[in-house]
Amino acid sequence: MEAAFEVFSKLEEPTGAEEDWRYVEYNLPFSRLAPVGEPGSPVPPGPFVGAIEATSGKALIVDGTVVESSSDQLVVRRLVDIEPERLLNRVPVDHNKLAAAHAAFAHDGLFLDVPEGAVVENPFLIDLQGVTPGAASFPHISVRVGERAEASVIVVYRSAPGESLLMVPQIHLELGQGANLRFLSLQNLDHAATTVTHQRVVLGRDATARIGEVGLGGDFARLDLAVELEGDGSSAETVGLYFGEGTQTLDYRMVIRHAGKHTSSDVFLKGAVEDESQSVFTGLLRIEKDAVGTSTFETNRNLVLSEGAKANSVPNLEILCDDVVCGHGSSVGPPDEESLYYLQSRGLPLPTAERLLIKGFFQEVIDRLPIGGMEEPIADEVFRRFVAHQSEGQVA
Amino acid sequence: MNPALSVKGLTASIASKEILNGLDLEVPFGEVHAIMGPNGSGKSTLCHVLTGKEGYEVAGSALLDGVEILDLPVDERARLGLLQSFQYPTEVPGVRLRDFVYEAAVAHGVSPEEAEARIDKEAARFGVERFLDRSLNDDLSGGEKKRSEIFQMAVLRPKMALLDEIDSGLDIDAVRQVAEAVEEMRSPEMGTLMITHYSRILRYMTPDRIHVMIDGRIVDSGERELADELEAGGYESVRQRLGLTRPAVAAERRPSEFFTETPFDV
Ligand SMILES: Nc1ncnc2c1ncn2[C@@H]1O[C@H](COP(=O)(O)OP(=O)(O)O)[C@@H](O)[C@H]1O
Ligand SMILES: [Mg+2]
Repeated sequence: MEAAFEVFSKLEEPTGAEEDWRYVEYNLPFSRLAPVGEPGSPVPPGPFVGAIEATSGKALIVDGTVVESSSDQLVVRRLVDIEPERLLNRVPVDHNKLAAAHAAFAHDGLFLDVPEGAVVENPFLIDLQGVTPGAASFPHISVRVGERAEASVIVVYRSAPGESLLMVPQIHLELGQGANLRFLSLQNLDHAATTVTHQRVVLGRDATARIGEVGLGGDFARLDLAVELEGDGSSAETVGLYFGEGTQTLDYRMVIRHAGKHTSSDVFLKGAVEDESQSVFTGLLRIEKDAVGTSTFETNRNLVLSEGAKANSVPNLEILCDDVVCGHGSSVGPPDEESLYYLQSRGLPLPTAERLLIKGFFQEVIDRLPIGGMEEPIADEVFRRFVAHQSEGQVA
Repeated sequence: MNPALSVKGLTASIASKEILNGLDLEVPFGEVHAIMGPNGSGKSTLCHVLTGKEGYEVAGSALLDGVEILDLPVDERARLGLLQSFQYPTEVPGVRLRDFVYEAAVAHGVSPEEAEARIDKEAARFGVERFLDRSLNDDLSGGEKKRSEIFQMAVLRPKMALLDEIDSGLDIDAVRQVAEAVEEMRSPEMGTLMITHYSRILRYMTPDRIHVMIDGRIVDSGERELADELEAGGYESVRQRLGLTRPAVAAERRPSEFFTETPFDV
């Protein structure tokens, strides 16, 4: 930690000119914030946490401290109780100022161990909260899925209403040989909160990860995700949706790295921006020299619903191997005119046609989320945002 | 009684190119009319102008059961009872056919219970159950798309049906099925306009009247014998009989369009 603090102190705060900040303004409330020690009082359960009935265990993390955790099927530990070398951490301390801050200031965290061969049906639910006004918190979550084990994990991000605060989580998911993990993250922070999450997924041989990312909250919310397909025959699917309103910035940075042989990946991400909000997607598919038989796809579709809103979509490929099947598609634009015309030609008024189109646009993602149970509140929230916006007569 | 559709002096241009050229047409309730015309003669444009698609400069008149529709928005025309079956139905990911046609029926003033009952009945009748709960037109064969269009029509029960090339892209069995479906939908409450450039669908159905459309106008109308003339001598025969010269723009057309000049099913 002391070494990490040194790295943190030495690293310059970004100026905004870095590649990382090319599409968004750098404006993190860093200097105004202080790390918190004692967790504040948690916010009551909302529609998302409430939607999950059967779980294999639960944890409540508030301001970076694990306040509660229990499971009858998984081994749950707090990070303070385990030796640091047992931890998998693929985020280098000097990855950036925030990663260094995490390494320096994270004082607690959750370690989930799914024992070899265990098949855990119900999801483990992590309620990840930031509540102390003006605080910076550094929650840490590590999940290790043993050989041939199966598990699912949900993380719901929430924060105290109206409070400006910073949350810098790290989430590490490690899959052993033949392991199977379904992971769903639902970022529903208050619009005053800021978050930068570093998430790493490392897959062993024949492991399968299905990852879902839903982004609704935050003033500025970034996900820095890297999926490392290291084991031969491993596969990872990442599906996600985001919907920006007001002045939100929803920012997705993904790197999918194929290193093992015969690995496959699929990224399917859809978003909408309205009002003055903006979104960023940069997705790098990197295929290493020895990764023969790789199959990889990446799709990012964006609906721009207001003149003042903006979506950036930047798919990227780095292919060092010949024997690959690879495809990517990206689009940014208003709702499709032809589709609206078709829907209206059957008698639907324009607002109804637009609603149906938006619903359908996101339904494709919702249907593919890795863990069921939250489809309805997600669809409702997306729909609510669009309808509220539509009734202000602001559709582009 | 008003005709289902009455079109007079209809002109339409897009990007200052005149496509419809003073078109007159009348389809009474209870009748099925066919419009036959070569590729590029303006058949789809006619359908879209009547449906109300944006982007055309339009003049003239089109009465739907006596009501002028050319100034109305697309959805209002549909609710008044005009329905086009698209030559290329649009794929709409994530919107289920069932939900869509239900919303459309409710927008037409059909009660929710009645809408559901119609959907179940017509889905069975036109064999669309397999894709009723899938995305609109997504991943469907040509024939399935056309069946989906006819199914929607059967649920929404328009006063005037515009069927744009409902027979194209189908194998011969599918063409026969579609023809039978169109005949089956025939009703005293509806007029039907069947648009095609092949005469083969007319082997399986009997339109009350056949119109030939060339260069944005109806140049001739008749009955069965007109279809026979087209089947024997192509549009060239009609052109020669009426003393129509080929338009100068013909040279601009792609070669592939010439091959479909003859209405034969090759
Ligand atoms: N959007 C458009 N812009 C310019 N020209 C068009 C457009 N749509 C159709 N046309 C032209 O209008 C003519 C008639 O087209 P269309 O109505 O599709 O004919 P048909 O359905 O009889 O094959 C063609 O020459 C076509 O190229
Ligand atoms: Mg056409």
